[in-house]
Amino acid sequence: MSDQGMKSRPTYAPLAPDPSGRHHLLVVEAAEVPAEALAEGVVPSAFEVWTVARRSAVPSAPAMEEAPGSVAIFRSVTHLFSALEERLARETMGLRLYAAGAEPFLWDVWGRAEKAGLSRQETAFAEVGPKARRIYCVHCRTVTEGVTTSIFTCPGCGASLFVRDHFSRRLAAFMGVQVDAEVPGEVPEAEELYA
Amino acid sequence: MTVQFKPAETFRDTFTYKKSPEDLLRFPFPFPEDSYMYSVNIEPHVRGGPTAAFQAQFDVDEHYIAECKERARILAEDPKRCQVLPHMMTAEWDSLEMIMENLAADYPEHFTLSKDGDAWTWVNRPLGIQQSFIFGKAETLPCGPFEYITRQAQGDFTLQDQREDNLFVDGGMVTSQADWSLEFDIGMSFQEWHGPVPLAHEKGVFDRALKYLLRLQYGQPVRRLNWTMTVNPRLDTSPENYPVWGPDKASVTPENVAEKVHLRVELQTLYRLPRSNAILFGIRCYLTSVADIAKVPKWRRRLHRVLRDLHPDIAAYKGIPRYQQMVVDYLAPLDDGSATSPGIAPDMEKIEA
Repeated sequence: MSDQGMKSRPTYAPLAPDPSGRHHLLVVEAAEVPAEALAEGVVPSAFEVWTVARRSAVPSAPAMEEAPGSVAIFRSVTHLFSALEERLARETMGLRLYAAGAEPFLWDVWGRAEKAGLSRQETAFAEVGPKARRIYCVHCRTVTEGVTTSIFTCPGCGASLFVRDHFSRRLAAFMGVQVDAEVPGEVPEAEELYA
Repeated sequence: MTVQFKPAETFRDTFTYKKSPEDLLRFPFPFPEDSYMYSVNIEPHVRGGPTAAFQAQFDVDEHYIAECKERARILAEDPKRCQVLPHMMTAEWDSLEMIMENLAADYPEHFTLSKDGDAWTWVNRPLGIQQSFIFGKAETLPCGPFEYITRQAQGDFTLQDQREDNLFVDGGMVTSQADWSLEFDIGMSFQEWHGPVPLAHEKGVFDRALKYLLRLQYGQPVRRLNWTMTVNPRLDTSPENYPVWGPDKASVTPENVAEKVHLRVELQTLYRLPRSNAILFGIRCYLTSVADIAKVPKWRRRLHRVLRDLHPDIAAYKGIPRYQQMVVDYLAPLDDGSATSPGIAPDMEKIEA
């Protein structure tokens, strides 16, 4: 059941600069650009790269000007997003935004891009890293990070949720639906699927 | 014939919803032949058709007041059942105009729309509403224009924005849905919000339907019928409330199957909107119990054959396997095996009360 065949589930591909773009900004959920995030023959210097160190003692990096080939290091994902929101708000036509990281990170990037007026064609995503899922409980709206099993207990309402392959880009999450709603207590064994 | 509204009937708890004999014969029975598979079954939405449900653009029947009351109750419990993304304001006004003008034209005894330039007055007699407002000025209505008018119409509605050669579900009023969530799906592309439907993607149904809808013309609305089954006459079978209504499915027995299980039909209509170029999608829900279906010989034969031979993936997606066989077993002795006429018309004029 790991592939339920649903068409709302995104697909990803290694990144290459879009020739129709004027400037290419790549945001990465790690300290380095993972080699598997880039298409064959593409080097990180083709992009302006933003990375995340997950450390506090990182000098601030300039983030408001286009700087092809440069690398800016942020202290956390939240730190990077804060700068990205400011940067996208003042960007003009021709920017192409790329992201590499785990699925929830990619769609958090998309949410900020869409808010800034970018279309889907102006963005590209490569999924790298853990496959754990972010799940939205359709009953109580609690969002749970890092779900790796087919069924888990919602920390918000206590329901045993089945993880559907139905994905919302807006919520950057898959849907969780109570698995035993029809006959309470009839909960199948959970399988480890999204590690 | 003037319809008798039944404002006190309920769609939860006591479930007092019932169909009069006249209401049963106007049911848009969803199967034009004895078997069912997904298809792009789209046709022009012109007034007139195999049953009286097709006589108006936005059908009003004896359940109108009760359904509007149930919608108001659901919205009070969960306001996010109505959401429209901010860039869709023009489409909201387009929708208000489209629904008001058609209701007033189809049901002059119930609805009146008068205009003096942008100063409009709307009268809804069944709900006891008289509202003057300025078209285009949202602050002159008690809520957003899309919510305002869809609170006064039967059935769900969504708003599709057209861009990037695709349709995006960027708004909706969704309180009588067959198990899909507006809060989860809002903003999705055509393929994404149909993601969970089995088989149809592979058959190319959605690609063809999307191509067709991208070319939909103003003034030439289209329609199709969709169906599922629901235990008890419950309008709100939302995923949000699935833990509340899910146990109903396990309550069906061979003794109560005919009264409990309802054929749930969606008369889906699609309108190109004039200013926004968006599409207004109406999803009008009709519920008819298997016991009522059994009063129409053609319909009971056909429902028996369709359910008996239904592809298991479709049955699973529609959530009916738990009681499907009980319905088939109930209908089997009522199917004499004789041929059924093509199309969905009931082939009878009157049902004895």
